[in-house]
Amino acid sequence: MPQASRTKKPDVKVVILGDMNVGKTSLLHRYTERKFKDTISTVGGAFFLKQWGPYNISIWDTAGREQFHGLGSMYCRGAAAVILTYDVTNWQSLAELENRFLSLTDTANTDCIFAIVGNKADLTDTLAHGPDTESERGDEAQPEVPCPTPPGTPLQHKQVSREDAVALYARVLRYKGLEEKACLPAETVCFETSAKTGYNVDVLFETLFDLVLPSILKKRSEGESSTVDLETPMEVKRTKAGCCA
Amino acid sequence: MDPNSQQSGNMEEVKIFDPSILPPCLDQIDLAYSDSDVLSENHCVNEDHRMPSDPEGLLDSADPTSEESNQPQEPSSTDMQKLDIDDDRPLCAGGSETDSGKASEDSALVDNGQDDSSEFVVTVLARGKMEEQGMGMKGASSPLCDTPLGPPSHRNEDVTAESWRQHRKHVFVLSEAGKPIYSRYGSEEALSSTMGVMMALVSFVQSGDNIIRSVYSDEHTVVFMQRGPLVLVSVSSSRQSEQQLRNELLYVYNQIVSMLTQASITRIFEHKKNYDLRRLLAGSEKILDGLLDLVDSDPSLLLCAVHCLPLASSLRDSLSQILQKAITPNLVFSILIAKNQLLTIVQEKMVIDDARLEPADLHLLLNLIGASSAFQAGEIWTPICLPSFNPDCYFYAYISYLDPPECTVCLVLLSTDKEAFYSVAECKRKIEEAMQAQNALNAISKAHSYSVSQVGVSDLRHFMYKPFDVPDNHRQLTQFTSPEMEAPYGSEEEQTRLLDLYRDMHSRIHSTSRPLKLIYHVAERETLLAWVTSKFELYTCFSPLVTKTCAINAITKLLRWIKKEEDRLFIRYPPKYSTTPNPSKSSRDGH
Repeated sequence: MPQASRTKKPDVKVVILGDMNVGKTSLLHRYTERKFKDTISTVGGAFFLKQWGPYNISIWDTAGREQFHGLGSMYCRGAAAVILTYDVTNWQSLAELENRFLSLTDTANTDCIFAIVGNKADLTDTLAHGPDTESERGDEAQPEVPCPTPPGTPLQHKQVSREDAVALYARVLRYKGLEEKACLPAETVCFETSAKTGYNVDVLFETLFDLVLPSILKKRSEGESSTVDLETPMEVKRTKAGCCA
Repeated sequence: MDPNSQQSGNMEEVKIFDPSILPPCLDQIDLAYSDSDVLSENHCVNEDHRMPSDPEGLLDSADPTSEESNQPQEPSSTDMQKLDIDDDRPLCAGGSETDSGKASEDSALVDNGQDDSSEFVVTVLARGKMEEQGMGMKGASSPLCDTPLGPPSHRNEDVTAESWRQHRKHVFVLSEAGKPIYSRYGSEEALSSTMGVMMALVSFVQSGDNIIRSVYSDEHTVVFMQRGPLVLVSVSSSRQSEQQLRNELLYVYNQIVSMLTQASITRIFEHKKNYDLRRLLAGSEKILDGLLDLVDSDPSLLLCAVHCLPLASSLRDSLSQILQKAITPNLVFSILIAKNQLLTIVQEKMVIDDARLEPADLHLLLNLIGASSAFQAGEIWTPICLPSFNPDCYFYAYISYLDPPECTVCLVLLSTDKEAFYSVAECKRKIEEAMQAQNALNAISKAHSYSVSQVGVSDLRHFMYKPFDVPDNHRQLTQFTSPEMEAPYGSEEEQTRLLDLYRDMHSRIHSTSRPLKLIYHVAERETLLAWVTSKFELYTCFSPLVTKTCAINAITKLLRWIKKEEDRLFIRYPPKYSTTPNPSKSSRDGH
């Protein structure tokens, strides 16, 4: 039985941050459950374990509401990747990333990867009306064809362009004191997605998981983590004191 | 007995009512001046349907000295007569008959008598406001008109529509500056002028060193409650007592506190008087919606008691032991819930010495969990305040379902350490493993509420039994037990009707002016008997043709049955653990 709990130990941590109502939970829900549904505003943070190949990736889906900011640094502690999410139809949601959320990432790993994600692309872009072609899983749950556009809904004005997101990425790196050249290029880590149609969602998560792989391997090779592992020493003790078994 | 004499006896409490002081949702209010002529006239008008709160006439109360006996006192012949009158008393869900009897009897618009002149000013002031508001409301709501009406989208309701006014109970929350914070139906924006009028009423009465408490009209009761910088208003046609409505508002207030803490609400408004609290509560409307649905449908909130899932005591004990063993420093409560009912709760020793967990806090916690688990696969970690426990501090709640994807069994662990997620999550793994080993989930899934037929008393249709603290379970969570609502209370309407009857009995038992110990009430389609002693509070519902002797015998049998089943129906001895670091090293568990 202890076997089961040990295999569940997360290898790496990914945190999703962003203003309320930009669709953080929906993105994760689309990725893990393959469907879109009306979610209720998240309280605190929700913790998920995602089996990815031989690795366990833990994902923190956090609440966007100011009310829960007190916990932000706890969610971000030791994160290998932070997904900064905004709503392409809402300029303020991009500004909030810089104003409120960036400082929460101070506790993340020094080599933390930042992704800038503009969600709700289906509202502004016809391209986003189908799930991305790379989604390799057969997901019949999604209405694939461009039919999701309700007849009466015209495309909304896109308030945040891709260039704005790229510019934010540059500022994030500057905030972190990182050399732009030494980091991942913006085109790799800036995404526009739609949790509603599934557009780019798999690409986002799979790309990020690929990118954090070195971090996992590094952690494994180092062997030691900064957190005390309660299980390993107990294991040792048990073998030593074989008499009481 | 003459109702009028009773009314005139209470005359000093009755204050002027003018329709214009009410928001426009309350049209058709009868004028009721503090004039006994008008009142008696009103009463005549309503002669054909007697009111639930009609004093004396409808109920007989046992002598306090006889309360310990198992035999409710036989009523006198005059009482019987009155019971007959009661027979045709309509008390339907959402009934809209006028309630002047009630108004005349318990109404107290304003604490302390106010002289007429100032009331007149209130009236004039409010009338002016209302006209202004009529304009404002139309303008504000017009963009909403194109949104389709649907039961789930209360937010989009057209607040000028008749259907909006027809809602049985409205609840509004606003800030002292008159800024809307929450409305149960319709968007807060569209209601900002209505809420402005409410605030005008509150502050006007306040300026005269008074507190506005309630306004009664024929069809509606409006209850005001101020808590710190927040004002809560209930506009209800449910004919509940003012006290009950006030209690519901307190739940709403406390649910807001559970998300923000009282200290931070106060701080925010001290800092900025006209702060828009919706900024912090955005997304929490559904939690408040859920709470108000619960208030209307779940008697546990009325009784301020927790409903446990009936469980063999051996199973409950072994579940408690599992929780007791999975601990980590700073863990204070371990709670196991199935089908929204409590399975077991284990508390930290020191905590339980200091203060106990109030049922109200548990209700708020359960509502928060029920209304907010966006998708139930993950593990939630969130700050939450338990207002009755400590309104100014947060606990950190770990919430996880143990049986995905069904998600009926939920584990809640409360810690005082906000960084403790991973160690608390580890406790969950231990609990999960131990439960797997004992096949406990399977046993829990077989547990279910019971049928009243198991009691084996014919004519008994339903009951609610709430034992009080007695020395041996002192400091224990107040609980109650109740069977499933079965035919003829299968439909939602009938359940609401029965709950309304219970609420009415409850309000009479707990009336501040004239509390009763025992009520035998013959209604149109059932007979109810409510009885409160120093040991328990009991509400029973019988078929309409039951005789009084028969009902009394039934209750004796019922009490005997409950005594026999006690261990299964209640958590008898809530277990404890100790997680504060101490010399005994008991926190090193698992071995």
